[in-house]
Amino acid sequence: MRYFWPIVTLIAAAGLQGNLPDFISIWGAKPDLIIVVLISYALAADPEFGAVLGFVAGLLQGRYVGLSMGSFIITRTITGFLSGLVTTRLFSENPLVPALSAVWLTVVCEVLFLLGNPQSDLIVVARKIAGECLGNAILTLLVYFTLRNLDIRRKIKLANARL
Amino acid sequence: MTMLSLLREKAVLTLLVLVALGIGIGVAHDRAVESGRSFIVLEAVSLIMKPSASAFHLTAVAAGVTGDAARPRRSILKENAQLRKEVVSLRAKNAELDEIKLENARLRAALDFKQSTKLKMVAVEVIARNESNWFDTAAIDRGRTSGIRKGAAVITSGRWLIGQVLDVDRSSARIIALTDSNSAVGAMVQRSRCNGIIQGQGGDYLTLSYLPKDADVKIGDVVISSGMGRVIPKGLIIGRVVKVVHNKVLGSATALVRPSVRLNQIEQVFVAEPGQSISL
Repeated sequence: MRYFWPIVTLIAAAGLQGNLPDFISIWGAKPDLIIVVLISYALAADPEFGAVLGFVAGLLQGRYVGLSMGSFIITRTITGFLSGLVTTRLFSENPLVPALSAVWLTVVCEVLFLLGNPQSDLIVVARKIAGECLGNAILTLLVYFTLRNLDIRRKIKLANARL
Repeated sequence: MTMLSLLREKAVLTLLVLVALGIGIGVAHDRAVESGRSFIVLEAVSLIMKPSASAFHLTAVAAGVTGDAARPRRSILKENAQLRKEVVSLRAKNAELDEIKLENARLRAALDFKQSTKLKMVAVEVIARNESNWFDTAAIDRGRTSGIRKGAAVITSGRWLIGQVLDVDRSSARIIALTDSNSAVGAMVQRSRCNGIIQGQGGDYLTLSYLPKDADVKIGDVVISSGMGRVIPKGLIIGRVVKVVHNKVLGSATALVRPSVRLNQIEQVFVAEPGQSISL
């Protein structure tokens, strides 16, 4: 049950990602909603949870794209794991933590991905990664705190029910 | 912390197992794509994902924000004015072509040539596109049960080639655009019949490579599919030449081609059965 809602959210994010209008792009790159959801959930959890969720995220994204399935799974699994590690190292209530984490985790994820799928134009690559980082950081901030609020409400509801 | 104690940690062990599993699935997926066979795990994943993509696609269509639909009014008006001009010139050209077509039909009849102007096609809807910033691929709502086959040509109603079917599930499939850097299709210059290979660059343009050094290619020439390999039908319009580069050292020429249509501009496409050709 711990994985149910995160996976449902990932499936929804994957569906939405493929239908994002073109004007939602920064420097030629759209934010990666799958990475955003993955980071947002994994930041509030542990590395093991992050790795499992990352695996599912990679499987979904790789299936949609139809190419480099292995690269998608491996990079997202590692990203999820690293996101989970952030929780144990940093105080995650600070709004800068999810935003900055999204930036460096997106960089790590995409650089690892490009090691297996090299691109010819490095300037375009750098611009796209920068654009994606910015988009992911803004969205992670929104998604992370929305998920946290939902989680807090759920816990209050559970506590009230027990009382 | 030694390597062994690090490995004993459950999270690290989980990570290693999942990465190994990822490599396994990746290899199995690549093999399945190459051979055109189905892979049960991926079929199941596709089945779970399709409703989500379809739901968001329908919402996007209803909201009118698919592809590049949500653009500033000024840019639409500018494009509209350009298109009106183009329509006038194309009408004149169309009348001329009708004449040529009739003459062509008469000559073909005289020479007893086989007419092959009708393509067998399946109409499909693009339900998701560009899931990653690094690939130009899309998912369509039909699969094996609708007769979609791996490698089949994906074209628009104007008989413009957009790409090819990458892999197929029971009820969905993925297509790769010509602009993707993993795409390569046999093509030729319509006017001079010079053959080459059209390759994606991962950007807005395509390159027509492997042309002979003395190739007769000019800026503005139309590039069509050559039908080599009998997978992509012959005669589908790919785009127009915008630049020609002659490499004297390698003894070859390369042309930069602007594609007629982009994947983000279309919602409905047709998938043609392999091994057909159309006469232009």
